[in-house]
Amino acid sequence: MKDPRVTFGEAVVEAAMENQNVIVLSADSSSGSGLGDFLKKFPERHFEFGIMEQGIMGFASGLATTGKIPVFAAIAPFVTARPFEMFRNDLGYMNQNVKVVGRCVGLTYDTLGSTHHSIDDVAIIRTIPGVTILNPGDPVTIKKAVHAMIEHKGPCYLKIGSPKMPVLYPEDVDFKLGKGIVIQEGTDVVLIGTGTVLSKAVAAAKLLEEAGVSVRLIDMHTLKPIDRELVLAAAREIGKIVTVEEHFLAGGLGSIIAEICSQECPARMKMIGIDDLYASNGPYEELIGKYGLQPEQIKETVIKFLST
Amino acid sequence: MDIKEILKLESTALNIRRNILRLIRAGEAGHVGGALSSVEILTALYFNLLNIDPANPRWAQRDRFVLSAGHKCLVLYSALAERGFFDKSLLDTYGALDSKLPGHPNMHKLPGVETNTGALGHGLSIAGGMALGFKIDKSPSKVFVVMGDGELAEGSNWEAASAAAMHKLDNLIVFVDRNTLQISGPTVDVMSYEPLDERWRSFGWSVKVINGHDMEAIIRDVNQVPLEKGKPTVFIADTIKSKGLSFAEGKVNYHYWKAKPEEMEQAERDLDIIEEQLKAKMEGAGL
Repeated sequence: MKDPRVTFGEAVVEAAMENQNVIVLSADSSSGSGLGDFLKKFPERHFEFGIMEQGIMGFASGLATTGKIPVFAAIAPFVTARPFEMFRNDLGYMNQNVKVVGRCVGLTYDTLGSTHHSIDDVAIIRTIPGVTILNPGDPVTIKKAVHAMIEHKGPCYLKIGSPKMPVLYPEDVDFKLGKGIVIQEGTDVVLIGTGTVLSKAVAAAKLLEEAGVSVRLIDMHTLKPIDRELVLAAAREIGKIVTVEEHFLAGGLGSIIAEICSQECPARMKMIGIDDLYASNGPYEELIGKYGLQPEQIKETVIKFLST
Repeated sequence: MDIKEILKLESTALNIRRNILRLIRAGEAGHVGGALSSVEILTALYFNLLNIDPANPRWAQRDRFVLSAGHKCLVLYSALAERGFFDKSLLDTYGALDSKLPGHPNMHKLPGVETNTGALGHGLSIAGGMALGFKIDKSPSKVFVVMGDGELAEGSNWEAASAAAMHKLDNLIVFVDRNTLQISGPTVDVMSYEPLDERWRSFGWSVKVINGHDMEAIIRDVNQVPLEKGKPTVFIADTIKSKGLSFAEGKVNYHYWKAKPEEMEQAERDLDIIEEQLKAKMEGAGL
């Protein structure tokens, strides 16, 4: 198990050592984003702004015009929903090479309630043309996602959780931006997970295999651009898809896949996520259980889906 | 400044006003009031102060100009065309499908445009980021911004103002085009910003109130920047909305002008009169 924020911070330090244009902007948010070590190592490349996320988006845009690669990490709703227009106009519309990182995504700010949950970020940010959205689901792919987004030229949004995450991949896993990872092959159902609950999908797949269900398990770590080929192959070859995400059903992973399948290769689908409501508060594992995101619940949902 | 240089700038400002009318004729309407109030500021910038190269608009060492009040784009397009960033015939496409001159500027469509503005309260942050980037690189380049006074009600400006002072961006120079009017009426009645000079000063800026139509003073003042070392500078430029059009000057309903034919004719005559006066001055100066 590894802390995703610490892992993220380590990756930014690595990237900064390789590329001197990498700088960090903080909205009083660096220490909580795992960037304390960056500040110690590169104090001259760390810029504090205080709690002004809208303004930082503009500063990041302007800095990018001078060749810098700003990394701006803070609590997810405060870098997405709050400064949405700045994200859209200053980063997206201007196509600036800025890396926005929403941390403590989904329900991972569990007890703090709906102001601090971020279960709409994919839905709103994916409406911005040209923005890449990354949602890695384990510490190994978090590191790879950080390096991939720094190498990629253009605005990116990276999602990072908060509770410690299990390591799902070997260090040499093949991670390509925009290409999902088939974790295991199967024939009865396609289970697609992303981000903080990928490990729950992985555990559910194991339970399903034990129950005699053959699962094709996919990690969709890049939500935009989505891996259309992988989605269409799943629809064409198996035709039954279940998505697992710590996000609203509206506008997230399930929606993205349904948009593709409904037009190009209709498939039966079940989306597991959070319905049209303000999520409750409480200990993380209990809270995601309230919305059916624990492995046993995912297994039961899949079995019910396959039996109807 | 030499009188000949000043008169030459005044002649350029007149050409820019004529370009603005040309745009309005093409598009049949546009945000004319704030464009005309900032003509002298942009003329001073594009024809004296900015270190730019129209033949190489992305030259890395150039100064930057950010039009935070993006709806004033008619004056930006007119100044860029006059400075030779693109052929003036493009002005006739304003309002057409796929025109490179949208109703708010787009850096991807037109050489010389640095930012995509239009939503108010964005430009100062972006300009601050540019200025900070130049500081990091120890570049001598400067960043200039034109803001509207109505725009100052947007809270995001004051986030940017704090940050620019905190990061000691004395290479950042802002003009507030204080034409005192916005859509709903006098700006101080809609949402007062007064005392404006004290407000900026309290945010850590050097402040000077100027006549925004006096190009000689604008150039002299900008050449003295930074007014205080380590501080960004704001020039509160008192201007007249729709300056140059006799029937529209200082009137709130010409923020956005859908030009009637008789108004357009009057506007042309108004500029002809300015031209005649200017010619007389030039002859007097031996030009």
